[in-house]
Order: sequence, then structure tokens, then C-alpha cells
Amino acid sequence: MEIIKVENMSFSYSKEEIFKDFNIVINKGEWITILGHNGSGKSTLTKVMIGLLKKETGIIKINGIELTEENVYDVRKNIGIVFQNPDNQFVGSTVKDDLAFGLENLCLAHDEIEMRIEKYLTKVNMLEYKDKEPHNLSGGEKQRVAIAAVLSMEPEIIILDEATSMLDPKGKEEVIEVIKNLSENNTVITITHNLSEAILSDRVIVLNKGKIVLDGKPLAVFKETEKILSAGLDLLPSMKIANKLAELNYQDEELKGILWELNSKM
Amino acid sequence: MNVIVGRYINRNSWVHRLDPRMKILSLIILMIGTFMTSTLINMLWILAGVFLLILTSKISLLNFIKSLVPLLFLMTFTFVFQVLFNKQGPIISTLTLNLSFITILLNVVVIIGYQILKRFRIRGFFWFLLTFAFIIYLYTLNLGTPFKIINLNLYRDGLTFGLFLLVRIIILVSASSLLTLTTKPADLNNGLERLMKPLKVLKVPVDEMSMMISIALRFIPTLLDEVNKIMKAQASRGVDFASGNIKKKVVQIVSLLVPMFVISFKRADDLSNAMEARGYFPGMERSKFGILKFRFSDYLTILFSISFLVGIVYFDL
Ligand SMILES: Nc1ncnc2c1ncn2[C@@H]1O[C@H](COP(=O)(O)OP(=O)(O)O)[C@@H](O)[C@H]1O
Ligand SMILES: [Mg+2]
Repeated sequence: MEIIKVENMSFSYSKEEIFKDFNIVINKGEWITILGHNGSGKSTLTKVMIGLLKKETGIIKINGIELTEENVYDVRKNIGIVFQNPDNQFVGSTVKDDLAFGLENLCLAHDEIEMRIEKYLTKVNMLEYKDKEPHNLSGGEKQRVAIAAVLSMEPEIIILDEATSMLDPKGKEEVIEVIKNLSENNTVITITHNLSEAILSDRVIVLNKGKIVLDGKPLAVFKETEKILSAGLDLLPSMKIANKLAELNYQDEELKGILWELNSKM
Repeated sequence: MNVIVGRYINRNSWVHRLDPRMKILSLIILMIGTFMTSTLINMLWILAGVFLLILTSKISLLNFIKSLVPLLFLMTFTFVFQVLFNKQGPIISTLTLNLSFITILLNVVVIIGYQILKRFRIRGFFWFLLTFAFIIYLYTLNLGTPFKIINLNLYRDGLTFGLFLLVRIIILVSASSLLTLTTKPADLNNGLERLMKPLKVLKVPVDEMSMMISIALRFIPTLLDEVNKIMKAQASRGVDFASGNIKKKVVQIVSLLVPMFVISFKRADDLSNAMEARGYFPGMERSKFGILKFRFSDYLTILFSISFLVGIVYFDL
């Protein structure tokens, strides 16, 4: 079942055209990764999808409902976005207040808000930080709060726009672990320019200059090394080694010899 | 970096536990009270009351003195002005200044000494006052043969009214400090929002204003962090923040402000996107999570504050 459908969408910033007759269908329960180099239009696409930016032409359907100017606030309730910069999406003065911000927007009662804060902070392992202020948290912790804040609003679709790109390796790992768990029950869209973050997802889309150049299962997409490179992306480290070896055209025995030599040096 | 915004000091005292709305209301009542009081004695009684509150708030007196320091000049000026120019009531004392060549010479020596000492970090308003008082003292001594004698009269009303204004400033400043020292900025904002709620009828955007304040409070530490980073970055490019004449100072400030503005606009853009993505739009109907509840001590406080005001009006008229 399709949960997001974008048909013939066009969008441009004042002069620059970003999308022209763009089409994409995302199915319910999928974990989809959108890959693309900086400036390929990934963030713009998500902002258009939830109506933060106004499309020029085309149709966007969320859950079968067409996005219009009147229903944008209602339709948006189905989608939560975690953005790149952990600082710039922390609205509340404490962790608790930050979650409460979104829940207040849903007009929930005090007890319900309290319950959801407990539930979703536990989910991202941040419950004991409940009363902490943002400047006392690490980037990874802030990003986990941002995820909890989005989750607590219980949207069907969760978009993570380079949510791990500003984090250190440890923070990245923490957040990816949370995303993995999410993907079991939700439709998840992760956006990245890093191929290794796409391996776990169900489907990968490569975006270049506002066009989809590749679409399919991760392993199938990764095989198209030329298209990936021409889309301005970097290959997986393992693929780079494989390619290099293929280029050097070693025979099996030769390669074994070289590897032995390297091994004995270590 | 851990910047304390709004100087909140965490202690466990009854003043801290009071509802912010009650504290704000009581402060307003106290302020009205000090303006309705007309005698020095009553003003001193109020000061004693504020002092008692400060003691029970478990916050060191030093913090309150610190908050008075920036007003030292205003306080001195107010007091001296009254003493010199308010010529009502009986004369209670006369200061006789003897102008002689010896005292003027000594005066010059003192000023030179003061200028030299200034180089050794002995400066500031306090030292200036001390030096000034010493110079006056010099003239009261009967040194040499005076060629002119000046009589300065101290009038009773000048003195009492000067003290009266001084005490009023001290009360207003320390009571406001007591509020900000014992209430978290977020709570203060929350309390203000509730108190202003009735103004919504007059189309005052109370919710939006309070949202703006709370975001500003939330971002002050982040932005200060950023200022630090930019200062380091610019220093590494050769901008010297430590010294310089006015021209250089302008360069320093511009080199700080420009990146600050660019970054802040980017932040504001990101934040508004994040807020909108989480379902917010200005003017919307929202529920409220941080509920404030009056407790017994809150009712007691407001009752006390009101009876205080009534008492002032009763005794003072
Ligand atoms: N607010 C904006 N105004 C004008 N141009 C923009 C704006 N935001 C992004 N762009 C441009 O749109 C293009 C796509 O940007 P974006 O969607 O942010 O890419 P990505 O998220 O893939 O890095 C870029 O060329 C960028 O310069
Ligand atoms: Mg982006």
C-alpha cells in the first residue's frame, strides 16, 4: 500500500529549478534511504512533501489524502522529521519540555503528555536526562531527544534528514540503533550521502540534480558503481578495494602471495 | 560552558517553591507599597521585611549586593543631590570648609596619588568616592591660614529624603533580584504568560510573546557558545580582541557581529522549520503541559502581600 505518492511535482527556489515533473511512490512499512550528494535536493524534497515549501505543480498524496493549503497542518501530523542540526530543533528549555512542545501542539491533556514523554524517552534511552537542559547534552543525546520528540507525536512516517551527519561515531551508532528499531513498525525515510548507512534499508533511491537515477534494493543499487560515482557519491570502502583489485588484474595465486606478505608485516 | 541565564540559583527554600505567579504578584504589590510609603521609618521597616525574606531564601547576601553594584553611581548621585539641594527642614549640622594654600596643595598631592594608584588596578567608583571623601575631609581640617571659609549646611529633610530614596532603590533592586534568583527563567516566563492571559481579550499575542521569550532563553547559552567559537576563529585569523583603539574595536565588533547574524538567521530558519514540522503555527490552539498549582503557602503569601499593602495605606495616610 502506498503511503506517500508524489506525481509530476515541480519546485524551484526563486530562480533555480530543483525538481521538474518528479515522481516517487513510497510504500507503507518500508525503510527507504534517499542518497544524494550535498545540494542534490534531498532536503528540499522532504520539505515539499510536508508542505513546508510550496510546490509549483503536481500532486502530493499522503495516506491517500491530497496535500492542499487547507489541510497541510492535519496531513503533517502523519509525518515527523528529524533534521540535521541537533541544536536547531531543540525547542524546549529542558528535554521534557522539548517533547511537550510537540504534544501541546496536538492539544493533548497533561496526563497523556506525561505518559508519552515517559514512554518515548525510554524508547531512546534518555529517560534519566528528562530534566536536563540542551547545553548539557552531547550531540548524540540531543539527536535522540529529537527522535523521541518526533516519535512521541506518533506519526506514521518518520523522516530522518541527515540526522547522524553532525554526530561523532558513538553518537551515530546510538542513533542508527534507534532507527533500526523504528523501521520495524513505521515507514522510515532516511536521507544521507553515506552509502554504508543505506545497507540496512529495504530500498535505496539515488538522487542527482533533482532526478532519481537509481531505485532498488541496496545491493542491486550498489552494483551500479558508475551511476553512483556520477551522482557524486562515494562508494563503500569494501567496494573501493574490490574495484581497485579488479583494476590491477591480479591472478589468484599472485594476490594470495601479496596478502601473505602484508599479513606477515602486521 | 555553563552559562546561568537569568542568574537562577538552585536552593531548597520556601521562596523557591512558591508559585511564580505569586512571586510576580507579590513583587508588584511590594513595588506599589514602596511608592505609597512616604516616611523613612516605614521604608526601613519594609527593608527589614525584604531582608528577612532574603535570609529565608537561603541565597547568599553577596548576590544581592552584587546586583546593587551597577547602581552604585545612581544611588550616590540621588543621595548627594538631595543632601546638597534639598534645603527644607531645620539645619542639623554645618560643614565648614577652610580654603587655604596648604589644603589646596595637599589636595593636589592626593589627586596625583590617586592617579598613580589607578595604574595598579585601584580604580572604580568605590575608590573615587573614597578619595573624594578624603579630599572633603582635608578641607574641614584647620590647616594654614584660610583665605576663604565656606559653610555647607545639612538640612534634616535633605538627609532623610536622600536616605529614603536610597532605601527605596535598595528595596526595589533586591526584591526583583530575589524573584529572578529564586525562579527559573522558564518558570518566570510561564508565570508571566498565565498572568497576562486576560490580555488576550485585547488581542495581545500573549502565547506568541511567551513562546518568543522561551526560545530566546533557550538559545542564549547556544549563541554565547557560538560567540566564543567565532572569537577564537577570528583571533586565529589575526583579530585582536584584547586591545585596540576605537577604530580597531569597531573592526572587532563587526568581525563578531557579521558571522553571528548569518548563523543566527540560519538557526532561525532551521528552528522555524522544525517547529512547523512538529505541528506548530502561530496563533494556534495548544494545550498546556507545565501546569501551575497554587498551594497553601501561595495563598498565604498573597494574603500577606495584600494585607501588607493595606497596612501601608492605613499607617501612611
Ligand atoms: N532556502 C533556499 N533558497 C535558495 N536555494 C536553496 C535554498 N535551500 C537550498 N537551496 C538550493 O537548493 C539545492 C538543493 O538543496 P538541498 O535540498 O538542501 O540539498 P541536500 O539536502 O540534498 O543537500 C541546492 O543547490 C541549494 O543551494
Ligand atoms: Mg540537506
